[in-house]
Amino acid sequence: MFTNRFSKIFLFLFLFGGFTTLSFAQQNPQALFDDANEMIQKDNYQQALSLYQKLEDRNTVSGALYLNMGISYQRIDSLGVAKYYFLKASQFEETEQQAKKALEFVESRFSRQSAVLPKLPWDIATDWLQEHVGAQNLLLIGIITLNIGIFIFIAYWFLQVYPNALRIVGLSFVVAALFIITSSFYTQYISDRYSKAVMVTEKVPVLEEPSEEASIVSRAYEGYTFTVDHRRSQSEQEWTYVRMSNGLYGWIPNSEILIL
Amino acid sequence: MRKIGKAFYTVGFFLVFVLLGSPFSWAQSNVSVEASLSQTTVYTGERVSLSISISGNFNNVSRPELPQFENFRLLSDNPSTSRSYRYVNGQSTVSYTYSYYLIAQKQGEYQIPSVSVSIDGETYTTDTIPVNVIDQSESATSDDSSGRPDIFLKLEVSDKQPVTGQQVITDVILYFRDGLEVNSYQPVPGWKAEGFWKEELENSGRPRAESTVLNGIRYRKARLLQFSLFPTKSGELEISPYKIVVAVRSARSGNDPFSSFFSGFGSNQREVELSSDPITVDVQSLSPTDDATYIGAVGNFDISRSISTSNALVGESIEIETRVRGSGNIPLISKPNYNLPEGLEIYEPQENTRLNRRNSTISGSKSFTDVIIARSPGNYTIPAKKVSYYNASRNQYITTTLEALTFSIDENPEAIAGSESSGQFPVSPITGLASWVVLSPEPANLLGLWWFWTGLIIPLIIGGGAYWRKSYADKMETDTAFARSVKASDKAQQRLEDAVDVSEQGDIKQAYNLLQKAITGFISDRLNMPEAGLSNQDYIDALKEQNIEENLVKNVHMLLEKCATISYAPDTTHAYLKSHVGLAESTLEKLQKVL
Repeated sequence: MFTNRFSKIFLFLFLFGGFTTLSFAQQNPQALFDDANEMIQKDNYQQALSLYQKLEDRNTVSGALYLNMGISYQRIDSLGVAKYYFLKASQFEETEQQAKKALEFVESRFSRQSAVLPKLPWDIATDWLQEHVGAQNLLLIGIITLNIGIFIFIAYWFLQVYPNALRIVGLSFVVAALFIITSSFYTQYISDRYSKAVMVTEKVPVLEEPSEEASIVSRAYEGYTFTVDHRRSQSEQEWTYVRMSNGLYGWIPNSEILIL
Repeated sequence: MRKIGKAFYTVGFFLVFVLLGSPFSWAQSNVSVEASLSQTTVYTGERVSLSISISGNFNNVSRPELPQFENFRLLSDNPSTSRSYRYVNGQSTVSYTYSYYLIAQKQGEYQIPSVSVSIDGETYTTDTIPVNVIDQSESATSDDSSGRPDIFLKLEVSDKQPVTGQQVITDVILYFRDGLEVNSYQPVPGWKAEGFWKEELENSGRPRAESTVLNGIRYRKARLLQFSLFPTKSGELEISPYKIVVAVRSARSGNDPFSSFFSGFGSNQREVELSSDPITVDVQSLSPTDDATYIGAVGNFDISRSISTSNALVGESIEIETRVRGSGNIPLISKPNYNLPEGLEIYEPQENTRLNRRNSTISGSKSFTDVIIARSPGNYTIPAKKVSYYNASRNQYITTTLEALTFSIDENPEAIAGSESSGQFPVSPITGLASWVVLSPEPANLLGLWWFWTGLIIPLIIGGGAYWRKSYADKMETDTAFARSVKASDKAQQRLEDAVDVSEQGDIKQAYNLLQKAITGFISDRLNMPEAGLSNQDYIDALKEQNIEENLVKNVHMLLEKCATISYAPDTTHAYLKSHVGLAESTLEKLQKVL
């Protein structure tokens, strides 16, 4: 009797344990990634992309995932989508160099090259902060600087050593902190409001109004990059308000672009 | 041998014939014979000069054979003759001019018939010349004749109902009466032709005055300037008035129709500003075309397309040139769009426009050069393309088919060896372990971070406290009354403790003295009174002024009285003093609350 019950429990535990292990293996991102990589090596790019896509849908990502997705799209000649994923891969330190090489290659394959308006210095600084520091880290730096500044200033009130130096240093820290905190909020605002987008279809007109009948501002071709204005785009479901790299503004259907 | 000699003579004869014969035939073909009238609108009974001009390289010329002139009377068969000779660049030119005078006899519109001239055995004839003979007595009574000024400016357009883009030749004509001489003119800058693209035409030579009759009044007219206007939109467009400043003077004799337009300066010269009337042009819109082949050209054009090479390497540039030549709105022509095959990169086209403003029209060419680069080898074909322009004179679209262009692209061996970007994709998939990141679905909100508020509030609280403490310390140092008031309680307490200690040592009087100092010192410190030189009554009065409770004042008064009179009480004990110290402590505690 005891032996029989023990056997049942053991069997249950074995099956349960095995099942959970199996299901865990299917859900593990690395395992899914490996399966997709095997598909790539067999030149089955569509199958590989569907597996990669599952990972992306789960918000479990990596630079290698984006790089491989870009390579797969490049192989099936979807250069606009490939560029989109290479841009994503370039945001990861481990794949940045390879993604930039791939981007250079893909850019050379587009049939149309667009003129690029030079950025303003302030925009360059904001982009650099977004990419290399991040708004949260900037805010943290600002808060720490503010605390240091206030404590130095308090010290100036009560300590009699180098009072002028303490006052100037304390004030400088506070002013710098306020500037850094303001910059962090501005960076976050820019990051929330604007995004980069890539044109993934062959050709589409950029229109003055979000309507098919509106007059044409310019024509966009596969691989063109835009700056998406999310705030202005909120009013339209099917359209996105974009700034082209040559400085022109207009509306473009959502289906034509992928937003980074 | 004989055959060779015969052939030599034959060739020599041929060369002599060619060398000698060709100038002769060239000279023959360069003879021109033209007839002109001094004026084409004349009064009945007025004399008009008919000139026969013969120029070219010739040997013999006969006198012109005059026809019968109907309604004109020939004054004399013997013409006045002039002859000139020019030698330019090795070519000699002889010019003869025969002038006859005719008198108009009858009102009407006639043709001066052709005149024949025999030159080196060949007969040349002139074109007929239209002439209008009017009755001077009738035209002089016309109503409109008196309204016209002696000198005025007029814009004359070649077409008042053009289509959009059509070239409209606009002449700026100066009319002036006989008896006036124009010495110079200066256009007033700033003339605008809104709704038109305009080009000034080049005219060789100086303006030449011609005689004409307007409503029975003889005027001389001269074309000063000439413009090409191209309407850019349809509808009624107004050409604004043109203004010039002319220097004019009265001439002694204005009857010479061949006098130069510009005469010498005289003492009665004056400058007048003339302005033409505006002209309204009714611009017709072009009839809609069926397809997208129209390139915006209006005029008469020849359109062609060519390719720089039919064979190139991968990465090499190939130029496709589309050229439009002719007369019309050349700068407004747009480039035709071509459907390029896949695999070609196209760069911004280069445009080149050449305009010729001579011969009273805008002509020239416009070329578009597309630069394309193939990124992979193979054979490419740019399909045939239909392009059309509008011919205003024929009132229809003219369509031209540009032939298909074919070219082949070969692999570039240098590019394969030197650049990885030219062919092979430079990156391989990552197939090993990857570092995974779980993305946050919601974007970070800086205002929702706890450490942001903590890091902001804590220093503010500490700073506020520190500021209060600093202000307190500063006041204690700078405000004596405040410092005495703050320290009054501790000071009084210390004195009371000292009083008890002194009392324990047996010095009761000194103890009461300290007790009194504790009370008076406390009151003076709190009320900022002088520290010495005041009587007990002064302290009591000060307390009363503060509206202190009466019992409290009485206690203070009693204690001070005790301290003053204790010297006369020899049996005072330590316990007695302690009771007074206790009373003083409670009294000062109450005073501290109200002072």
